[in-house]
Order: sequence, then C-alpha cells, then structure tokens
Amino acid sequence: MHRRTVPCQYFAPQKIEEALEILSKYGKEIKIIAGGTDLLIQYYDRLYEVNGWLDLKNISEFKKIKINKNQMIIGAMVTHAQLEKSQDIKKYYPVLSQAAADIGSPQIRNRGTIGGNIVNASPAGDLLSPLMAYDAQFRLLSTQEEKIVPAEDFFLGPKKTILKPAQLLTQIILPLPSERTYGSWIKVGKRKALVIATITLVLVVKMTEDNKIVKDVRTCLGSVAPTPIEIKEIKKKMAGKNFDQLDFAELGQMVEDKISPIDDIRGTREYRKDVAKEIMINALEEIGSARRLYK
Amino acid sequence: MNKLTIELTINGEKREVETATSTRLLDLLRDDLHLTGTKEGCGKGECGACTVIMNGELIASCLVLAPQADGAVITTIEGIGGGENLDPIQEAFIETGAVQCGFCTPGMILAAKKLLEENAYPSEEEIKRGISGNLCRCTGYQKIFDAIKLVANRLSKRDGGRGGKDA
Repeated sequence: MHRRTVPCQYFAPQKIEEALEILSKYGKEIKIIAGGTDLLIQYYDRLYEVNGWLDLKNISEFKKIKINKNQMIIGAMVTHAQLEKSQDIKKYYPVLSQAAADIGSPQIRNRGTIGGNIVNASPAGDLLSPLMAYDAQFRLLSTQEEKIVPAEDFFLGPKKTILKPAQLLTQIILPLPSERTYGSWIKVGKRKALVIATITLVLVVKMTEDNKIVKDVRTCLGSVAPTPIEIKEIKKKMAGKNFDQLDFAELGQMVEDKISPIDDIRGTREYRKDVAKEIMINALEEIGSARRLYK
Repeated sequence: MNKLTIELTINGEKREVETATSTRLLDLLRDDLHLTGTKEGCGKGECGACTVIMNGELIASCLVLAPQADGAVITTIEGIGGGENLDPIQEAFIETGAVQCGFCTPGMILAAKKLLEENAYPSEEEIKRGISGNLCRCTGYQKIFDAIKLVANRLSKRDGGRGGKDA
C-alpha cells in the first residue's frame, strides 16, 4: 500500500562539497533527507513527489558536536538522542537538552535531527524556541556563498524558511552562555510521548555576577504563532531589575496578552492563552529556585 | 536509476538486496526478505510495531528508506534468541502474560532488549520511557512492565549484581 515506485535518483555523498554540487545541479528537483521522521511521513502521505533524494548520512562532519573557542558548533545531522545525551549540551544549554529529550519516542529521537527540525519549520518544532532563546545562528552553504543567519530571521511561516533550493543548512552555532544563565523548558501536550506540542515555552535568564540583577532575558514560545516567537516586551520589563522584586503574575499576563494563537485540534486559542500565562509563572518560579541554590 | 543494490547485515548475516529508492526498510524486511516478525501498524512512526535495531539504535523501520539503511547492521525479532531457545526477555513476556494478540510484541521485545542493554536496572519510570514509542492495544502495559522487571531481576541475579530499583 505504501510502496512508491516513482523513478528517482539517490545520492549519498561523503563530502559537503559534493552535496552542494548536487544541490546546485538539481535544486528543487531533489529532496534533502536527514532523519526522515517528518519528511517520510509527508512523502508516504503523498503530499509531494520527488525526482531524487540527497541523503546526508555519510557526511561525518554533520554528526559532530564541538566547542570552538566561545561557540558550540552542532552539525545539522546531530540527532535528538545525541543532543539529549551530550554532556556539553546538558551543561551549557539544559533547555535544549530537555526539549530534545521530550521529542517523540526513542525511535524518533534516534533518527530525527536538529537540522531536519529546523528546516521542516513546523510551528510546533520542539527545538526551535530553545534555539532562538540561546541566540542560535544557522550556517547556510551553497556552491556560491556562505551565510550565517540568526534563528529569528530564518523562519517565515509554517514550513516556510529563507532557505533556497541550492542552500544547505550545515551547522547550528550557539554562543557559550555566561555562568549565571538559567533556563526553563515547559512543553504542554495531551500526553508525554509522541505528542505534537500544544504550546511550548522557553525562558532563559542571564543574571549579573552577584546573581541578583537580571542582565538579559529571552522568552520564546512555540505552537502559538506561524513561527517560533520571542516576547521582547518581557526582556524590556525584566532587564536591570532585581529578580526577587519581579511580579511573576504581571509577567505571565504580559505573555498571555502578547500572543495570538489559533484554535486547532490540539487546543483552542483561549486555552493556549490561559496556559501561556501559567507556564510563564511556573518558568519564573523554577528559575527563582534554581537561582537560590547558587546563593 | 530507480533500482539500486544495497548491502545489509541482518541478524548477523550479510545480505545483498536489490531495492527501489523509495522502498521503506519495513517493506524490504517483510516483502523482500520475508522477515515478517516486523509488523506494520500506523506507518507513521507512532506505534512502534515496525521497530528494529539498526546500528545499535532502536528505530521505526517505516520511517527509513531502504537506501538509508545501506551498510547498516540490523537486528529484527528473528535475530533475538536462537531457534528453539528463547531470549530471557521472551521467556519473561510469556510467563507474565505480557502477550495477547502479539502484534506489538516484536517491537516491545526489541525496545526492552535495548533498554536493558543500556540500563540493566531500570526503574518503573525508566521502563515507561524505554517503551514509550511502542503501543499495545490489548494487555495494557502493566504486564509488559512486569515482564521487563522480571527479566531485569533475573539477569541481575545471574550477574551477581544488585536488584532492580523497584525490586
């Protein structure tokens, strides 16, 4: 029933340069396949046809997580399971590690990749708001040029990004966070495993050396807009303030007021707005207690 | 170039198979290699009936193109235990009544195998997480948890280790 016999080519190059050549030659004719956990579901549902596959599995460079000076470089083919288990990711980006651990199931986490999650650009993509919150940049390569773009400029809408047919997402670049950085990850869904998020919230707070004053904040949400979004007003409200004097309820209300989610099968607009407020308060409380442990 | 030949090591045996670029690993296993212990449930990676171990990792074979598995080492349910000899996990499933219709069982056994390989003494929470990608629609999950706990306890006794966390 699922067999598809449409003739098509299959490329699995070993080098990035070869992959780029194939892309520049075939462009839209060809589908880039990473883990396939989203792509193949859509393919066997006959949502698109392909004339060829470009499989990135043999490019070993894409499967590495490494630290280069003050940056973390994550290859596009790093799987969710790798992100979840990496000690470096746990240490520097705990929210990204937790988000990866909450994706799908062991079977999905072993195949699905960070690059695929980004390029698929689902409004409910679990890694997207954590990446935004940690100021991720994406390295896009083609035979012609190299571009490094911030996560917030990459997403245009559901399944829409600025990526051109000849471009390949090769790396995710994250700045190493300062020592007093706290994060909270909250995913709300109908059940724990194999669920598409009804709403996700990431709060990353950078504190001053003395751990009292808020230096910088990112509040990023998924599944409430066509793309992952940051609520920038929260940053304005919190920066420079003493954390102990913050009004959590007011900040929760701000998140509720600033989002305009839609009704869909996973939840109504009203539900999402209500929940957004509550999980923002929970996230602030979680960071509050993590911070107290360091005093 | 619709057809291509791939090489796989399946249950310890090297196989060369001609396949199509858009064939799923699941169909290759079932239809071409007649390894029908691997089941198709949802075809969307959600039910785990098509679970196999590929290059040491638990995967859903409905979400892998056959050529993606070129060069891979694969264990299917047929590669667990040997002939008449059952794997201790299979024995435990039978003893605790963790099998009813049997459709989820191959995937459950492989998920349990992988879980116990990585974590010999899993807690109940860890067991739940380990088999969270496998759905059962008959027995419910309690007997399956019991089976995994039973085998963990037995293996730990055999190895002279400590008991399971929930023992």
